[in-house]
Amino acid sequence: MRGRAVTARAPEAAAPDGAPAARRLPRWGGASRSFALGALSVLVLLGIWQLVTAGGYISAIFLPSPAQVFRQARRYLSDGSLFWHVLTSGRRVLVGFALAAIVAVPLGIALGTSRTAKALFDPILSIIRPLPSLSWIPLTILWFGIDEGQKYAIVFMGTFASALLYVMESTRRVDPLLIKAAQNLGATRLDVLREVILPGSLPGIISGLKVCLALAWTCVLSAEMVAATHGLGALIWFAKDWNNMALVMVGMVSISITVLVLDSAFRLVEDKILPWERHQRRRDV
Amino acid sequence: MAAAAIVADRVTKAFEGGRRDQVVALKDLTLEVAEGEFVCLVGGSGCGKTTFLNLVAGFLAPSAGAIYLRGRAVSGIEPSAGMIFQSYALLPWKTVAGNVEFGPRMKRLPRAECRAIADRFIRMVGLSGFEHFYPGQLSGGMQQRVTLARLLAADREVFLMDEPFAALDAMTRQVMQEELIRIHEQSRKTTVFVTHNIDEALILADRIVVMSARPGRVRASIANDLPRPRHVDVQLSPRYLELKTQIWGHVEEEVRRHIEATPRAD
Repeated sequence: MRGRAVTARAPEAAAPDGAPAARRLPRWGGASRSFALGALSVLVLLGIWQLVTAGGYISAIFLPSPAQVFRQARRYLSDGSLFWHVLTSGRRVLVGFALAAIVAVPLGIALGTSRTAKALFDPILSIIRPLPSLSWIPLTILWFGIDEGQKYAIVFMGTFASALLYVMESTRRVDPLLIKAAQNLGATRLDVLREVILPGSLPGIISGLKVCLALAWTCVLSAEMVAATHGLGALIWFAKDWNNMALVMVGMVSISITVLVLDSAFRLVEDKILPWERHQRRRDV
Repeated sequence: MAAAAIVADRVTKAFEGGRRDQVVALKDLTLEVAEGEFVCLVGGSGCGKTTFLNLVAGFLAPSAGAIYLRGRAVSGIEPSAGMIFQSYALLPWKTVAGNVEFGPRMKRLPRAECRAIADRFIRMVGLSGFEHFYPGQLSGGMQQRVTLARLLAADREVFLMDEPFAALDAMTRQVMQEELIRIHEQSRKTTVFVTHNIDEALILADRIVVMSARPGRVRASIANDLPRPRHVDVQLSPRYLELKTQIWGHVEEEVRRHIEATPRAD
């Protein structure tokens, strides 16, 4: 997910002086070309996969063929159960992640702008942050049982500290000269926060939250493998118990597609709320 | 002469350094700038020109001495001084109009009035039609025009300019200088303009103050009696060359002193 932010800036950052022609390519021409290339590489991968499995080079026990996976997917799609699993996991991710973001964004801005708050919270943060979300499973089960609350708690615990850190860092990285300029124009502390620090840290906060959203998926999947009857993690674990590798792969592909869809939705939001960034990206293209 | 708009009274500013204990940027600097006067501060790098502007704007507090704006001592961010920075310092997430109306908005003027003020000054710097562009879409010269409009819209009594044209190419720079001359002749705002370009100082200033190498203080104060309104062709006059030679004499000596005083290995 982080990869998106990197590619978006690549034309500016990576274009060497010797490649002015490449930089002058029209934006959409460039984009549709990369899309075509991307689609091609996926198709080639599928082709090789089909070839080695159908040709008997790799036994179906170790790797089911794309056709088997597709059949399996159609079965689970037709009775709607695959959607149900996707929706269940998706809801857990979004609720847990939203809770983490709602707490982390304001707290992170406070920590990023106040030395006192930072000194108070930094030690706690560095204790919580290295803990993998899986290590929270026993405690959260004890506290919340095995229903939805526990899944939300796992996602929250797994993403909160990282989100907080991203917000703090982006807040702290706002150009001090801009703050100075705003103060010189008569901005109060609150004005500086609202007009300079918030918009200035927003791009960093958003790309940080994107990383955390990906993190939220790993949290929810591991939580579902341990204690759940629904959701993509549970589906994969259930399929594993029945040694149904085609179904395992249906689960895996579903995760990829869901994350891709969510990521493009995030990108649309990003273009809407960061119009100046969009212009900045276009400037050198 | 009118009352002094800016008085620096034996100002000393020392910074806590790392290995070498202290860096004294300014030492007993005394300087007066008259109401409506355009003063250029000239000197090599590291002579404390920028530090002086930061002190007047209230971003820094002097270690000793005091600075008065119209008789009132500067303490904290100074509401009557407006600053232009070399690197523009425009808010990238605001359009040209948004940046220019920032000052009026901070004064809590009504929305329509902010708009009107912004429009007026955007027109004055010749950026009509670019109101809805973001700074990132403009060239360096255009961005510096925006900072000029932003400063004018904020309606400050004293203008502080920290090498505002240093990053511009020679031609854009000349156009901007002419623009600034025109604006100054209209508004007659007290201006302190930092530069290390003597030609720029001679075109713009009423008076040129040469600063000594670190620790900075006033080495020479030279009245610039070149006729106004000034055009670039003033550079061809004998008086211009005379002044330039005189100023360069002071500057050169200070720059040499600075180079010799600076240890090689740092």
